Amino acid sequence: MNKILIQLFFLLNFVPSDSISEQVITRQGQVSFFSYTSVENIEAKNNQVLSIIDLSKQEIAISMLMNAFVFKKSLMHEHFNESYIESDLYPKATFKGNFIDFDPNIEGSQTKFVKGTLTIRNISKEIEIKTNIEKIDGKFIITGDFELTVKDFEIKIPPILRPNIAKVISVTFRFEYQPYEE
Amino acid sequence: MTKKIKIATFLFISLCVLSISVYYVIFDEEHINVIATEPELHLSSRSLVASFSKNEQNANDNYKNKVVEVTGSIKEISYLNNRSTLILEGNTRSSSIICDIQPNHKMKLKKLKEGDTITIKGVCKGYLKDVILLNCVLTNQNTNE
Repeated sequence: MNKILIQLFFLLNFVPSDSISEQVITRQGQVSFFSYTSVENIEAKNNQVLSIIDLSKQEIAISMLMNAFVFKKSLMHEHFNESYIESDLYPKATFKGNFIDFDPNIEGSQTKFVKGTLTIRNISKEIEIKTNIEKIDGKFIITGDFELTVKDFEIKIPPILRPNIAKVISVTFRFEYQPYEE
Repeated sequence: MTKKIKIATFLFISLCVLSISVYYVIFDEEHINVIATEPELHLSSRSLVASFSKNEQNANDNYKNKVVEVTGSIKEISYLNNRSTLILEGNTRSSSIICDIQPNHKMKLKKLKEGDTITIKGVCKGYLKDVILLNCVLTNQNTNE
């Protein structure tokens, strides 16, 4: 009898608290991109990417500062911000999307698609990204990679530098979420 | 004659290589050397966050890509993704300052704990939900001593 009461107590306490935290957030998400050519390899990382997931609506929102990408060479950083991305005019890149058939209650790992709109330099593209979702002790970690075409975002690269920059840029990401308390 | 041309070509090519490398060395220094730069602005972490949440455009004009010195209380110390990050308290619970610490100042974090008041110098990059400072160094440590 006592055991049943204790179990009931735990059920009542833990089930509701699980469904209360319907939003999760990260302020330190990581987004990297790579450009591989025979001339040079360019790599940049942003470790301060913001993302919020609404678990009940299966919605995800991502926002990042373009000038917070860190490069190995500052000349690359300068070209990226001043010539290609024009981060003074377009300081942020955003993504808004929905998970397809994602069940936030499943512990462990699941692979799902996210469909949404990516906006860079005020140019929006519909994309679909395959992501790996891991839930460990109620904490979500989302990782994945995808490719972007430089031309799609009307980025002007001077002819002399064209061999240095890949036409297709690969992007990887890793977001580790925490419960969101406003 | 051909020897002269050969020497001239060799000299020309070496000059080109040299000038390109000089160009790279000069322009490839740390864009802003935070340690050596006197901060343009000094303020509390609360007022920096407040000015961004009040008017982001204005705050960007005042602080973006500038070296700022910020004093505030530590909300969190994080080592996520192999970075060393200090999060300083803002004027509300939901907004703070994310300070990415330079790797050579990593050791200094070990002496700090949540709630300590510290002063940090870094390059302000802008605002998402929090203000972001990169290349941060600790300028003094008012630990509870």
